[in-house]
Amino acid sequence: MRANMAIRSLRLVTGMVLMAFVAGHLANLSIGLVSLSAMENWLSTLMAPWQTPIGRVLLAGSALVHAALGLYAMAMRRTLAMAKTDYVQLALGILTPPLLLSHVMLTAVAGELASGYEVSYGFLLAVYWSLAPSYAFQQLLVVLFVWVHAALGLYSWLVLKPVWRRIGGFVLPILFAVPIVALLGFAEAGKEVLERLATDAEWRATVLQNSARVGPVRARIDALQSTLLAAYCGLVLLALAVFAGRILRDRLTRVRVDYDAGLAASGRRGLSILELSRLGGVPHADVCSGRGRCGTCRVHVTGGAGSLSPRNTIEDTTLARVHADAGDRLACQARVFGPGVAVVRALPPYADASAARQPGDWADTAPETATPPAGSPA
Amino acid sequence: MSTGEGMAGMAMTLLEAAKSRVAALGADLAQAPAELHSMLAAASGALYTGAGVRAATYLLILLIVGAGVEWLYWTYAHGPLRALESAPVSSPRHALRVALRRLALLGTGLVLFTFATLAASAAFVWPRGMHEAVVALTLFVLVVRFAWIGVSVVLAPGRAAWRLVPVAQEKAGWLAATLMGAAVALALARFAPNLVEPAAPHGAAMLRLAFATLATALLLVAAFAFIEGPVPSGATGAKRRLPKFPASIVAAAIVLTVFALWLLRSGTAATVAGIVGGVILVQMALRDLVFFFWQDMIDAEAAEAADPPAVDASDPTLLPSIALSTARFLVVLVGLAACALQLNAPLAGMAASGNPLVRLGLDMLGVAALALFTHLVWIVIRTTIDHRLKRIGPYDPHGEANPNARLLTLLPLLRTSAAVLLVVTLALSSLWALGIEITPLLAGAGVVGLAVGFGAQALVRDVIAGIFFLAEDVFRVGEYIESGSTTKGTVERITLRTVALRHHNGPLYFVPYGSLGSVRNNSRDWVIEKFNIPLPIGVDSEKIRKMIKKIGIEMLSDPEVGHMMRMPLKSKLARVDPGVKIFRCKFQTAPGNQFDVRAQAFKRIEAALRAEGINFADGATVVVQPAGAAPG
Repeated sequence: MRANMAIRSLRLVTGMVLMAFVAGHLANLSIGLVSLSAMENWLSTLMAPWQTPIGRVLLAGSALVHAALGLYAMAMRRTLAMAKTDYVQLALGILTPPLLLSHVMLTAVAGELASGYEVSYGFLLAVYWSLAPSYAFQQLLVVLFVWVHAALGLYSWLVLKPVWRRIGGFVLPILFAVPIVALLGFAEAGKEVLERLATDAEWRATVLQNSARVGPVRARIDALQSTLLAAYCGLVLLALAVFAGRILRDRLTRVRVDYDAGLAASGRRGLSILELSRLGGVPHADVCSGRGRCGTCRVHVTGGAGSLSPRNTIEDTTLARVHADAGDRLACQARVFGPGVAVVRALPPYADASAARQPGDWADTAPETATPPAGSPA
Repeated sequence: MSTGEGMAGMAMTLLEAAKSRVAALGADLAQAPAELHSMLAAASGALYTGAGVRAATYLLILLIVGAGVEWLYWTYAHGPLRALESAPVSSPRHALRVALRRLALLGTGLVLFTFATLAASAAFVWPRGMHEAVVALTLFVLVVRFAWIGVSVVLAPGRAAWRLVPVAQEKAGWLAATLMGAAVALALARFAPNLVEPAAPHGAAMLRLAFATLATALLLVAAFAFIEGPVPSGATGAKRRLPKFPASIVAAAIVLTVFALWLLRSGTAATVAGIVGGVILVQMALRDLVFFFWQDMIDAEAAEAADPPAVDASDPTLLPSIALSTARFLVVLVGLAACALQLNAPLAGMAASGNPLVRLGLDMLGVAALALFTHLVWIVIRTTIDHRLKRIGPYDPHGEANPNARLLTLLPLLRTSAAVLLVVTLALSSLWALGIEITPLLAGAGVVGLAVGFGAQALVRDVIAGIFFLAEDVFRVGEYIESGSTTKGTVERITLRTVALRHHNGPLYFVPYGSLGSVRNNSRDWVIEKFNIPLPIGVDSEKIRKMIKKIGIEMLSDPEVGHMMRMPLKSKLARVDPGVKIFRCKFQTAPGNQFDVRAQAFKRIEAALRAEGINFADGATVVVQPAGAAPG
């Protein structure tokens, strides 16, 4: 049961490593607002950590582990009833590797294969803005996808921490500003490159020459790229197949959850209480959308406790942190295997991240007042 | 003759215009594919250049800015929305309040997104033609998202309790999807062709036609598949409905008419037709739509109708009736305003316009508003009175004297008076509003009123006296009264001037209130009946008193008369006459029952006396001759 906890931490850590890399990369792009040469000058500084052997290994390893854990999580999903942000994050996460592939090929792999090939911002921007604009659209999308995916992950983790009250005020604007400034830098540098291509014939010749060096290895790069793409698609399909298989396996046995206020939900055996709430349209607080971090989905079990899966490490840690009562369970971790269970939601459905940061403030919201009286001000 | 020819000529002109329109459409369709093809080739060529990349970059920035502003808003608004969505909905009226709050919360987010996107788009230098496209795209997103908010707030496909219209749960999802499809098609027809218009005018016409046809088809599907008659509610389901013209056919006809007008004439004519058709459709459905919000109360009233009526409960149909009238007027008004806007009528200049026709139209609007107001007052009065009357129940001349009989008399009177008063007031106010001088009319009426008043002094006295008789609850229908004069009888009818009394022998007296004088009402609360029993002088008074008391107690449990009695029969020795002891008996009953009870009492007393061997005192005077005194 410790494995879940380790996987969650590993996913978070690798994601943060990748996000640090992307943030540095985007910061470098935004220097394009100053000038192209400034971008080139800052490249070595901002990207220095990733040029060292350790940095390379860390980056490549993080990318592989994060992708693998993402696919594993997808395969292990029990239902499609998830929060909207989870849908967005999942879709963006799946789409990122194929979109990123051509960029990696052009910068990292081509440099290894073609002799004399040099990657610089000037050259890449010339490729994107003039020689092969179709690549640029992929890159623009990938900037958006990667950043939104990463920002969602960081935000949903950080917002639960007490420290968010102090840093939230400037972290949130930064999360939005980074891609905007980077894209503006990309556009400004692009304009400069186009102008230089038109006026500076010598530079133009250099760029074309550099581009021509890729020609001989082009076929190998394309082959490699399509192989990787096919392999990735295969993995995604495999994960989806495992997911579908698990759903089909459990589809026949139904379980039922009875809530306070006379509400009820039913669904496949093996779903968590929170997933059953979502399927049944029962309002249920879930600030971390079922990752077991926030503790807002916790419930008092009033009947059928034997139908639930035993507590795991994640649940123990979080319940201890929010000082839950002895009979409480986390609805997102407690899976229903028996025929039925009766619970009382501990927090009102509109509990927000502050309920995770300061559990004491919400302690007095007793189950009886879990739903506000009719006509209460919105 | 000439009119006929003129009409024929007009029809011919219209047909010619339609024919040329169809021909133009055919030409558009024939040329559009090639045109669009070349335009697309040019556009994709332009896209894969530095300018295209720049436009895409800016577009992504706009997306982030708009989404960022909206995200910021939702960090505050998410909690309230969740709280709103998790609260149970108790009635359709509560659902309406919830819907309005959801609309405000969701709509604010959308407005912020739109404003942020549009404002940010102004900050960039776009490649040629791109800014228009971006603005059109933003507006398209606005329209589609707004349509979705509207559909989800009104139809609430996921939660039946939130629904604002009477649509069955299994149909709500599909109806929402169809309406959304139509909204997207209409938005595309509005925004997409404008973008290709400069490069491909024929292609734009084809796109318009294609999207408008798609929207029409979807709306037809919605009309036929989802518009249904009102679902009979469980309480009143057994009642057979009269056949009505199906609303789906009307809706479909309106949709097709609008489409045909748009196709053959112009966008303006189609829009006006669409507004008029919309007003007609809404008016047809308005009763169901409005009453839906009070359906739970109406059902509850129908369910408890079997129970003894609580007179104080107000009529559940009062509020919806008022809302319905107001809504009908507002819908027409909004329709008129929309038509005026569409036809570019100068709304502001109208009020000051000297054109008599415009003035007349405005005056008529004023009169209509007056009529609406009068109608509202009339609805309030009528539904309240009718509901009260219904609760009291019909007058039953053979039953117990109903405590609400006075209301039965007064309420219809009040209703008629209110109607007359309202009509007169409305007529005078309308004349005033239309600019017709009503002062002479009022003065004339005053003079005539004075003259009539003198002539009809007695009449006025009767009417006013009657009002006070009724207000002071002197008598009610069904009560037995005696007036100061010799007239007496049961009150049968109360009118404005007279009261009709049925004498117990049959004749019907019509007594004007003015000559009623003091009234003796024999039917109030209770009566005490007294009668004498003469018994021979030799009986034991105490024994008789106890015997009659016993009879009185027995009579209380008698099935025939026991329930009428207020106090049991009692007696006491009242007088001793020569040879006779007179016992006075009395009892108390509800009014009008004393005669039955008295007969029963006599019967029992007689039987008891016979059992005791006592006779009533006979009339014969016993002369006792003292011993030794010889007659003579």
